[in-house]
Amino acid sequence: MDTFNYLMHGFGVALSPANLLLAALGAVVGTMVGVLPGLGPINAVAMLVPVVFALGLPPEGSLILMAAIYIGSEYGGRISAILLNVPGEASAVMTALEGYPLARQGKAGIALSLSAWTSFVGSAIATLGIVVAAPILATWALAFGPVEYVALMVFAFACLTGLLTDQPVKAMLAIGLGLAISTIGIDANSGVYRYTFGSPNLVDGVQFATVVIGLFAISELLIMLDTMHGGMTVRIEQLGRSLFNRAEMRFTNMAALRGSLIGFFVGILPGAGGTVASALAYTTEKRVVEKNDPEGSRFGQGDMRGLASVEAANNSASNSNFIPMLTLGIPSSGTTAIMLGVLTLYNLTPGPALFRSQPDLVWGLIASLFIGNFILLAINIPLVGVFARMLSVPAWVLVPFIVVVSAIGVYSGKSTTFDLVLMAALGVGGYVLRRLGVPMAPLILGLVLGKILEQSLRRALSLSAGDVAILWSSPISVTLWGMAVAVLLVPLLLPRLAKWRQKTSLQMD
Amino acid sequence: MMTDRLLGATAIAVAAIMLMFGYGLQAPFAYEPVGPRAFPIIAAAMIGLCGVILLLKPGKSAAEPVGPIAAIAALSGCLAGYALLFQSLGFVIATTIFMIPIAMIFGAKWWQGALTGVVLAVSSYLLFDQLLEVVLPAGPFGGIV
Repeated sequence: MDTFNYLMHGFGVALSPANLLLAALGAVVGTMVGVLPGLGPINAVAMLVPVVFALGLPPEGSLILMAAIYIGSEYGGRISAILLNVPGEASAVMTALEGYPLARQGKAGIALSLSAWTSFVGSAIATLGIVVAAPILATWALAFGPVEYVALMVFAFACLTGLLTDQPVKAMLAIGLGLAISTIGIDANSGVYRYTFGSPNLVDGVQFATVVIGLFAISELLIMLDTMHGGMTVRIEQLGRSLFNRAEMRFTNMAALRGSLIGFFVGILPGAGGTVASALAYTTEKRVVEKNDPEGSRFGQGDMRGLASVEAANNSASNSNFIPMLTLGIPSSGTTAIMLGVLTLYNLTPGPALFRSQPDLVWGLIASLFIGNFILLAINIPLVGVFARMLSVPAWVLVPFIVVVSAIGVYSGKSTTFDLVLMAALGVGGYVLRRLGVPMAPLILGLVLGKILEQSLRRALSLSAGDVAILWSSPISVTLWGMAVAVLLVPLLLPRLAKWRQKTSLQMD
Repeated sequence: MMTDRLLGATAIAVAAIMLMFGYGLQAPFAYEPVGPRAFPIIAAAMIGLCGVILLLKPGKSAAEPVGPIAAIAALSGCLAGYALLFQSLGFVIATTIFMIPIAMIFGAKWWQGALTGVVLAVSSYLLFDQLLEVVLPAGPFGGIV
């Protein structure tokens, strides 16, 4: 009942004209950005950080705008994947697998409207899940002290290295670099200057917006040069019938439901966002279909169930991503990490206390997720042709636009040449790191969590007068340490496990 | 192989620099058991450890296509130039000058680039500086342009 009242209060916040306008604006901009190949939600949200401040938005307004852009670009990512076989982001790779063959068969309109619908189903289920799960988790998380927080953050980092990539060492390196950047500047506890090298520009640390824009938006431009190969030819398939019919909806209902649930639970895990969720949903759906309906399976040649489950999972995960961010203050993806970074810029400490101290912010955001999804469904089905036209914007307009908006964004913070040069340097450095296989999302997570981790660690050790054993003194922290070790070790053991199983089965034969 | 080794060596160098400048960090009055030095050293150790692993056990190198080196260098140079001259030339002039080559790197003809540069410079100056009150550098001809 309490939850219901809070939710209604949240709708009051989200339905205020200003916030409604922000959600609608975010939905449109997000879809447009998502359509553009190479520009995912993380770039869109990164470039927005300074703009949000320039607009002088209150914290709930800026979070609502960013959240709408985030889920909007997840909707938009499917358009280029289906029409061009060019996934706008990693989580849309699976969308292209079934969506593009459908488009080749002249069913692009059906694929687009159906995927918009299942995206909506996934988001709606996940948002309901947030309403139910988040307050419970937040109450539970209030019992967390500095000791538990240290263990929780180590678990989050372990998830990032264990789940995200096939090269865990590089993910760990990225986390380490993020932690290192977070130590630059004056130390809040002792007043000691760390790694400032005498530069006044570094005294209060590196600007968050500069790092994020450099590493994501600017480095992405250099990546675009790698993937362009002298001009992309855009040939959009005929859209065909633009709306799915009732039979097609019934055909895909179960797939969408399964995808939504998979996405929801995967999205809660730190480090595992839409990419893992959509891959897991796709393989699950394929297995289910091949078991129950082997003759009807069109997987690989345009099966609507595959498309439905992937899009539901992807959007469900991007919504349930908000659960760990809001309740624990631990973002589970790069995009939510940036939003968390923005919260700290407003001097708000992310974590369970937020539910009590900032009900407007938390419940306004949750309510606006509902509203944003309705807006997205409403604009995505009739206007898909308009968004598809975004694909014909040439790179030579797009790239200068991104450079200028990025530079203005970085400059607006402190108005120094230093920050602009740092942005360019981080852009080139980020490009080199990405080319070497070092992922950027863990770096941002390390940067955002670094200060909180250090403070928790120092507070915990102050409590015990320096005895490290306090870090595994409570049942919660022991469990979290255990989970962290498990997440790190399982992928290492898996290939061996698989080999061992193969060997034993051979012997059995 | 080779690239991973190089990455590992660089990581070790970064860790060494962090240790060098981090080891002397000490609070004049220590009233807590863990001072400002511990965390940077933990981060450095993590980076160094990853570097050692990469050096000893490099992975298979990804065979993704790399774009034309000349274009990458040109774009990096333009970005650096834009960043350095943003303030002294002023927003409108710096944007116009640097967006032309950037647009051309991405396939524009020179007049398309010039058009993009001018339109982008003027419109975003009006939008951000005049409308949204983000102060942008006016440059030497600030009063006129």
